[in-house]
Amino acid sequence: MKGSRVAQRYARALIELAERGQVEQWGAELERLAAMVESPELKERLSSPELSEASRQEAIAKIAERLELSFPLRSFAVVIARHKRIAEIGAIAEAYSDLVDQMLGRERATLTFAIQPSDEEAARVVAGLAAIARKQIIPTIKVDKELLGGIVAELGGKTYDGSLATRLAEAQLKLAGQA
Amino acid sequence: MKRGIAAAALVAAAFFPSAAMAAEEAESHGSWLMLAFFAINFAIFAFVLAYFAGPLLRKYFADRAILIHQNLAKSQEALAEAQALARGAAARAAGLEQEVAKLKQELEAETDFQLGRIRELAASNTERIRRDTAITAAAMVDAAQRNVRGHLAAVAARLARDLISSHFLDADQSRLLDGFMDRLGQEARR
Repeated sequence: MKGSRVAQRYARALIELAERGQVEQWGAELERLAAMVESPELKERLSSPELSEASRQEAIAKIAERLELSFPLRSFAVVIARHKRIAEIGAIAEAYSDLVDQMLGRERATLTFAIQPSDEEAARVVAGLAAIARKQIIPTIKVDKELLGGIVAELGGKTYDGSLATRLAEAQLKLAGQA
Repeated sequence: MKRGIAAAALVAAAFFPSAAMAAEEAESHGSWLMLAFFAINFAIFAFVLAYFAGPLLRKYFADRAILIHQNLAKSQEALAEAQALARGAAARAAGLEQEVAKLKQELEAETDFQLGRIRELAASNTERIRRDTAITAAAMVDAAQRNVRGHLAAVAARLARDLISSHFLDADQSRLLDGFMDRLGQEARR
């Protein structure tokens, strides 16, 4: 579980309000709100001590309205502002996402390939990770040429390293007599 | 009473010698009476002298004898003491000689011990230095070997990296993915 305790508390409160069909939509809306609020320009303005609490709440309400968030999310944004937790909104979105994944039996994985994978290759790896986690896998695919070849997958805090760079490093250590 | 008579006779003889002299002159022709007079006179004198001076003399001589005896005893005691001191001094002198001999012996033994200890210490230090030198040399050799191996390994890795980068094909990636999928499969079966 990621995020601070405060973020987890707010995320849990929000998810308990959501109905089954709304959790993912609210998650997406929360991420949009977090992305907007955490943009450097807005972040600086919202955290300015010159801004009164009322103005800050009004500003966040307007942002939520402009993002066309659902009414519960607009209210949530105002509550967050009232409790002076605007800086935590990114962590709240992350904690909410984790809770949704838990609720829906999903797990996120980061797949880093040495070269851009085909859809089939990515799907194979995702299926392999799903068999391990026995959950639906939501992949984030990255490409890193430093791997030289192969793939590195991160799932639930565990790393599965099938990269050539790592094999080469291991071989180098063996050759140097340090392994 | 007797003392009084004797004292009176002495005083008479002392203060009235004329009668005695007159008698002497009168008896100068060898009178028995004069002889008796002188004899009695002398006897009285001797008696008075013995009567009065005798006890004093006896006491004087007795005291003197006691004093002489005491002095003699003290002298003998002092002599004995001096002799004892002399004997003690002689004994101490003899003891000192023994002590000097003993100290000399101890000194020699201690010197031998210290020499032995220094010798042992030197031997152990030599051994330690030899051992440390051997260990240091071995460590230096080992470090040098490791450095060379590390350097060679780094060079080999760099060459391998360059080789892979320039010759890596999609087919190689597929083979690596196959291997990775096998590992995932094994993990899933656990």
